[in-house]
This record gives sequence, structure tokens and C-alpha cells, in this order.
Amino acid sequence: MLLNRETSGTRWRVRPDGPPKVTGRLAYLTDMSVPGMLHGMVLRSPYPHARIVSIRTEKALAMKGVHAVLTCEDVPGLNRFGIAHPDHPVFCEDRVRFVGDAVAAVAAETAELAAEALKRIEVEYEPLPVVDDPEFALRDDAPRLHEHGNVLHRNDYAFGDVEEAFRACAHIVEETYSTPRQMHVYMETEGGLFVPEADGRLTVYSPTQHGLMDRMQLARILNRPEADIRVVSSPIGGSFGGKDELNVQPYGSLLALATGRPVKLHNSRFESVRAGLKRHPMRITMRTGTDASGKLLAHRVRVVSDAGPYSTLSAEVLNFAVEHVLGPYRYEAAEVKSVSVFTNNGMSGEFRGFGGNQAIFALEGQMDRLAEKLGMDPWAFRRINLRKPDDPGPLGQPIAPTDGARQVWEALPASRLWREKERAAAEAAPAEPWLKIGYGAAFVMHGAGLGVGIPDPAGGRLTLTPDGKIEAAFGYEEFGQGLIASLEQMLIEQFGFGSADLRIVIGDTDAVPDSGSSTASRSTSMMWQSLRRLRAPFSSRLLGAAAEALRLPADRLRLGEGGIRDAASGELLLAYGRLAELAPEPIVCETSFSYPTSPVERVGSHYLYSYSSVAVKVEVNTLTGRVRLLDQFHAVAAGPVVNPQGYLGQIEGGSGMALGFTLMEDAVMKEGVYLTRNLDTYLIPTIAELRGRFEVLPIEGLPEGDEHGPRGIGEIGSVGLAPAIAQAVYDAVGVRTAKLPIDPEALQAVPDFESEEVEPA
Amino acid sequence: MTDKTLAERSAPSLLECEINGEKVSLAVPPTRRLLDLLRDDLQLTGTKRSCDIGRCGACMVLIDGKPFNSCLTMAYQCSGKSVTTIEGLAEEERLHPVQQCFLEEGGYQCGYCTPGMIVSVKALLDANPQPTMEEIEEALSGNLCRCTGYGGILRSVARAIETGGAASNE
Repeated sequence: MLLNRETSGTRWRVRPDGPPKVTGRLAYLTDMSVPGMLHGMVLRSPYPHARIVSIRTEKALAMKGVHAVLTCEDVPGLNRFGIAHPDHPVFCEDRVRFVGDAVAAVAAETAELAAEALKRIEVEYEPLPVVDDPEFALRDDAPRLHEHGNVLHRNDYAFGDVEEAFRACAHIVEETYSTPRQMHVYMETEGGLFVPEADGRLTVYSPTQHGLMDRMQLARILNRPEADIRVVSSPIGGSFGGKDELNVQPYGSLLALATGRPVKLHNSRFESVRAGLKRHPMRITMRTGTDASGKLLAHRVRVVSDAGPYSTLSAEVLNFAVEHVLGPYRYEAAEVKSVSVFTNNGMSGEFRGFGGNQAIFALEGQMDRLAEKLGMDPWAFRRINLRKPDDPGPLGQPIAPTDGARQVWEALPASRLWREKERAAAEAAPAEPWLKIGYGAAFVMHGAGLGVGIPDPAGGRLTLTPDGKIEAAFGYEEFGQGLIASLEQMLIEQFGFGSADLRIVIGDTDAVPDSGSSTASRSTSMMWQSLRRLRAPFSSRLLGAAAEALRLPADRLRLGEGGIRDAASGELLLAYGRLAELAPEPIVCETSFSYPTSPVERVGSHYLYSYSSVAVKVEVNTLTGRVRLLDQFHAVAAGPVVNPQGYLGQIEGGSGMALGFTLMEDAVMKEGVYLTRNLDTYLIPTIAELRGRFEVLPIEGLPEGDEHGPRGIGEIGSVGLAPAIAQAVYDAVGVRTAKLPIDPEALQAVPDFESEEVEPA
Repeated sequence: MTDKTLAERSAPSLLECEINGEKVSLAVPPTRRLLDLLRDDLQLTGTKRSCDIGRCGACMVLIDGKPFNSCLTMAYQCSGKSVTTIEGLAEEERLHPVQQCFLEEGGYQCGYCTPGMIVSVKALLDANPQPTMEEIEEALSGNLCRCTGYGGILRSVARAIETGGAASNE
């Protein structure tokens, strides 16, 4: 059944965070201000690569109204950050490696003064040769950006004899795919308010996807105990992976502590562009072969990923790509070599899809090209090579079995869109001969969770508070995905509480347990698993206390809206407020566990996967080369739908982002300098590009005995659209695309006006 | 070196206008943008700052009923005019019908573009209660949303049109 408001019935709920959002009353952390606060700004390098000869701050400091000018000498602890490997300088000491590198920061009484003070900081640079191409960076004669060279990470994987397997192939396709430096474009740029408290603690109000991780990193930088720092990190005006790593928090914190006054920072859009993360541009070369019947025999892959100057999660993204260039297909032999390379380009890092978008664009491109060589239907060709429910994962690792691959494969040809395609083949071409229609499809198998070898804690806490609220505390963040709504919905549906009974606490390190990060499509499934573990103990504690208070056997009672109810009649017997007063001791249940992983050694291997098939219909205008997306269908096999509105929104929103990745988005750099500085030249899809039809079919069934429940769907909608569109464009105009975004010029076919003959379809 | 702070300090003039139905009289320097006046001086932070160059629509407000990017509007230009921000749409606790439709259809996720989007939808429907798809596209293509893919927004707009601007609060 297609997912929409009508088919969801009463499960389609108004989000608890909706009213303050539609009225503008919700205070985002960058909306906060306090009397007497200062304004912070960061001085960043104008050069992509240079030696710092000297930094003089006297003139800036002498300005009236300027309260602090900080450099690397003012960092009390570790002058580095980075979630996985801290090598990103808070303030550069002797060298800058990209145009976002921070050199100094100021706090002043107004933002205008702070901007003026930045201009009066005198930094003498000696420009160095710029390494702006990862292939060049790998050469022996390239300048070394770090002591250990320019290779951040390599990850190779192979099985079988790939040479031998290629010799047995009847058909071989080789192609190099390249993908753009996509920007997250969260509408709220980075920022926040940093408050030194009277008791000596520091409160950080700044968006992040993992408050406890920020607190750990800040403690390291500030050289103070984690307990002395409170990070308040939600609500967030969009993140998509981009705010998981630290951004302005080190500067706000250092300035607040140096001045003893609250400091506000809020990045301009260009500041966000130059300093912020982007999706890794990747070049992926694939050579793939089959036998005469279409069975995949050999697959050889080389991935080169542009990490930019520092590590953040580039190694982890590369590991994810290695797994996903193999994907859901079975081969006789395969060999993957991959490398993530330091350059003087912008910072690359975590972005929704996490390396899967690039990998799957290439892999699905191979499948379409091979099917054509074989003269087979591309969808039928995929089926021949598709994994079975009990097959190992892409890296040979045991994974939680599901039949998702078959389910989404079968759903696509049965879709309205695909059946329409069959009919369209027999119908007349569009009226205007320069408009060409095409159809395409793609298959996605996407891992969730952080994978083997990375600590991946989960958990949460339920409490009956003294004021009679059922408090659910989780260390997750709300950046728009609807996490609060999903948690509320699960508490109502699984326990029987009413929404007015609940108090949801997230995004505050003083108030939440360690639930791990809100990344990797993991939060909803980890909340579901937490509640599953908490359900029996918390329910029985509540019912036990109620039974004692009411002098009734517990089995005659149940949890319900407003309080404890008679199990048979539903009559309200004891309100939660009264229960809290009568309970002899506080009722608190907490659970703590880890995201399930595969029992293997290989770092980054995943255990839980979601599957998706995507079909699209496009219209290519051969006069302009522009592609319009007319219709899309997404089948998603990820277990039960927790929150229908959230699920639909994640697939639609992910797909919208993928449309930008496919047709228009690229943060263009030249010699390490951003040419795209704001949203006038970095274009993202508007309502005009995304007004086509859209259908989502969730496939909810899981194998009997499955213990893992709903799988992640936060990323999968952003993955399959690009290869589906590339195939649809080929179907429309016969032009293969291996480079994103698709270049309109390549699709233009200027009619021969002299002969007055316009080629019909 | 040019000291732009001098300009900031130069003779504030008196701005008299109406903001969300209330007459205000404020001393405002000629360099002050409407966006900063609203957010920083009046704490009306429902109007959002995002691109500062009029490309994203997060700062959209109504001036005499027409939508304007407040990042491209100087405060003094509102002299004698009526400015309505997102905070001015709901009456007491009663949401404006467009807000109600966004709430019910889920026409938002992170919510950061939502105030500007709702302001633009209200301006469109006030001027044209039965817009065509092309007119909706024209009216809303200056409001960027990065979360929803616009699906929920289109459903919210469709519902607002359907209910003739009178979506029930029941």
C-alpha cells in the first residue's frame, strides 16, 4: 500500500514540534541572545596553502569594544579536533591547508565591530604550491600536506581470482564515474550561543548531531572536565551530516571563557561554504564482466576520494564506499582498491548516504551498461545476480537476513509508473519533437549503523517524574527528521500513553543518557530497540506501584492515556501524577546496549541493511539540455513504518537532495578556492524542479523471529535517484552519463535548420 | 581604512510603521536592514537569516501584504508601511489557515524555511485564492527548502486552496 496521509489513517499525526515551527515561535539555537553578549567571528585563511610567517593582533585588540583576539597560543588544551582522528587545528600554528582554516577569532560588542577587528589582524603568509587534485596529490613529486604524506586512508578488498574471472567473461564494461562536491545547504548556518555560567561551568548552545561527542571534543580543547561543560544541541535547522563534526563550537567556547561573557556566533552563508563540510568528490573506475548468460563473474573497482585537508570521517566514508561498490550483487571474483587523499580543497566529510551515493551511482551505471551489452532488460539482468536472503553481506560478512532485496526488486515492475512505461512504448511521441521522454530504474542496498570496529552505543531512559510525567530521555538530536514525533508515536502505540502524559528530553548533555550519535540512519531503530527493552520493566514497575496503591492485582490494570486504567473496562483508576506521589520510590528504567554488528573483524562492515528500488520518468529538452523529473516511485524495504509522515518525508526529502546531486549541484573550486560562495551560484532544487509525481511503497514485512525491528530510512531516499535518472536520460536521448551533475550541453541536439528537418523521436 | 561603524553610528532617523498590527516608532540608523531590526532589535526571530542575498526566502515578510526578502529591505523603507512577520499571522492561539494546513499535512521538517514559506503562501493565496500549478511555482520558487523535497509543502498548499483559506481548526 502506498504511503500517504489517507492510507496512514490515525497514524498520521501532527508533530509535537509542529506548532512552534509553523508559528515561528521555536527558538533555534542561533536565534538565542542574552543581554550583554558579545559577537564572535573567525579569521580564516585567504590561501588554500600557505606558511604562516607571523600573526599580529595588537591593532585589533586596541579597538574599543573588542574584548578578545585569540590565536593558537590561547588554546589551553589540544589545539585539534576531529571525531575519528583529531588532526584539524582549532587555530593554525604555522601553516594553513585550506581556505576555511582558522587563524584567529575575535569577540566584540557588535558583529560590525568584530568584522572590523578581523581586518586589523595582521597575518603574513607565504603561499605554497596548491594541491587541488587527488591524483596529483598521490604522485611522489606532489607537496606533502602532512608529515605522513597525502594518503589519509587506503582500504582494499578482494576475493577470488579476478584476472582469471575476467578471462572467462563474454562481456566487459569499463567506465570512470565522477561525482560533485555537494554541499549540505542546511538552511540554518552554523552558530550558537556560548555562556560562561556563574558556577564556572560553560553552556554551549550550538547544533550538533551528537552532543556528548561535542562535549568530549570541547573538553579536550578547553582542557577542562567534561562535567564542566553542558552542550545543548537541539533544535537544529537542518544538518544532513554536515553538523556532526565540530564547527564554530571551539571558537565560541574559547571566546566565552576568555572574556567571561556570553558570546554569539552565527556564520554567514559564505563562511559556511568555505569552512563547512561537503560530500566527497569521488572518481570511481569500474571494470565489470559477465558470462554470455548474464551472470556476473568479475568486478574490479578503484576509488579515489578527495578528503580535503583534514581527516574528520573521510576514512569511514571510504570504508562505506568500498562496501557499497560491491552492493547487493554476487560475483565470482572482485577486487576493490580505494584511497582517500589529502588535498588543499575544501573539507569533505559526513553527508547523508555516507559514500553510498557515489558508490551506487557507479555500480548501477555498470549494471545498465552491461545489460545493454547483453541485450537484456536491465531490471531482469539485476535479478540474475541479486543476493538471496541468507547470503553474506557485500564484504562476505554475516548480516541480519531479510528478503528485502527480492521484495523491492519485485515491487518496481508492479508499480504504476513502470506499467505506464510499458504502455508508453506503444504510444505516440510528445508533441514537441525536441522533448524526449525516458524511463530508468536503480537498485539500492544501504547499510546502517557505524559498523564493525567503531563504538556504537545506544540506549535511553524512561522515568515517572515527580510531577507525574512520563519522561523519555535520549541522547539524540532533532534536526528536522521527526525524531521527537517518532519517539512520541512509539510511546503512544507501544505503551498506551497519551501525548499529554509525555515529556521528551533530548539534545542536552546534562539531561540525557549516552544513546550514541544521530547519524547513520540509526536513531529511530535504536529508540525502537530501547523501548522494546524498557517496555516490560517500566510497565511492570508502574503497574506494580499502582497495584499497591490501589490494592488491586496488577493483572487487572493496564497503562493508558492519563494514567493507570482498569484492564477490562478502560476506566481511569489512578492518574500518573497521583501515582508519582504514592510510589514509594522513583520509577526509573534505563537501558544501554550497542548497535548490532556482524561478528567479523573487518572495520566498517554493516549488519543491518535497508533496500530500495527507484523508478523515474524524465523529460529531456534537447534544445536546452535540461532534464525534468516528471514522476518517481520508491519501494523501500526497511521493516515497520514507525512514523508515516516522517517516513514519507525522509524519502521525498532525500530524493530532492539527490536530484540536486544529479542535475545541478557542485561547489566549484579552482586551485583550492571556492568559486561558488552563496546560493546565487550554488543552486539547489526549488519547488519548480520537484513538482512531479511521487510515490513511496514501504515494504514492512520482516522474517519471522527478526529481533531488529525498523531499519533506518534516513539516508536511503538520497541514494538511488542519480543512477535511475542517468539511465532515464540514456533511454530518452541515448547519451550515457558518467559524471555528475549531468552536463546539459551533452544532451543538446541542435536541429539542422537548413534542411528544415527536425529529427523526430 | 574605511570605518563602516561610523555609518552605523550616523544619525539614526525615526522609523514609524506598523509591525504585526502595532504602531511602532523606532530610532533606526539608515544602514539597518529590516531583517536585523526584526531579529536583533525586536527579537522577532521567526524571520530567519540564511543567505543574506535574497535567494532563499527564509527571511520573507509581508510589507503591505506583498512578500519581500527582509535581508534586501532597509528598515527605513518600511516607513509608513505595514510589516507582517510570521509572528503576526496567528491570532492569539488560533493559527492562520495556511499554518494549520502546514501543520496537518506535514509541510515542514527542520522548520527553518517554514516561516518564510508560509508567509509566501499567504501572500499568494491572498492575491490569488485559486492559483494554477504554474502560479504556485512562480510564487514559491524564491523559497528554498532543503528537507522536504517540497512534497509536504505542495500538499499543504493544495489543502489551503481546497479549503478556500478556511481550514478548520476543529
